[in-house]
Amino acid sequence: MIDRLNEKTLMLEKALDAAWLRNEAISNNIANVNTPGYKKSYVKFEELLEDAVDKFQISGIKKDDKFLPIGKDTLASITPVTVQEKFTSMRRDKNNVDIDVEMAELAKNSIKYNALIAQMSKEFSKIKYAINGR
Amino acid sequence: MAFLNSINISASGLTAEKLRMDVISRNIANVNTTRTADGTPYRRQVAVFMEDNRQIPFSEYLNDASKSLIGSGVKVAGIKEDKSPFKSVYDPGHPDADENGYVLMPNVDVMTEMVNMISASRAYEANVTAINSTKNMALKALEIGRG
Repeated sequence: MIDRLNEKTLMLEKALDAAWLRNEAISNNIANVNTPGYKKSYVKFEELLEDAVDKFQISGIKKDDKFLPIGKDTLASITPVTVQEKFTSMRRDKNNVDIDVEMAELAKNSIKYNALIAQMSKEFSKIKYAINGR
Repeated sequence: MAFLNSINISASGLTAEKLRMDVISRNIANVNTTRTADGTPYRRQVAVFMEDNRQIPFSEYLNDASKSLIGSGVKVAGIKEDKSPFKSVYDPGHPDADENGYVLMPNVDVMTEMVNMISASRAYEANVTAINSTKNMALKALEIGRG
């Protein structure tokens, strides 16, 4: 029964990890805004979640974690993916970092992170309330 | 990856931009230097940036494909001299004028240096904002489960 307490927060935990990783990618983009030839990288997570939820797909059941999955995985096994945008250019020196977009992404990501933290705290408060009765 | 690696990355950006500012200041200060230690006019210097990619062992690539692609910030590959030709100015009264009255002035253009200075300044500010944002996120994470 104790592991069922963790179900709700598992997804939040993954989203938090993805947001932290995204923050790192954005920091790297900002640090390299003036580096010639640098290509920006970004982190995909929410789109992967959407894909997994929306589409009806064949999925296989794994007897053991070490087997390769068939079809779409369960929600629990989606990990964030870092992508490098190699084929665009903003300037003549082939750098494709747009500082305005990066700052906006930074703000958005920060807000998303705070919202996830608030949600997670509420989940734990609920559990504590159930345990204490008040 | 190190804890709070984002702050290390942004800090590398701060260092690089500050070094760039130093080089730009040196260029501006020497805009009229016709005589350096080896007798030639001052040559404009440029700070060359490159991305600081840590060496990733193959096992880490296989195990953790999502995280390995993020670099470790920026580093200065070196301070190189600008090879463009010196500016030739007609000034027969100058002590360093040659027999035709032309003086070789440094190949520093103050306008270009000013624009680069603004760019370095903005990049510095952006990196500071990134550090503050990361710091706030980390402090917020400490509040999980509190209360």
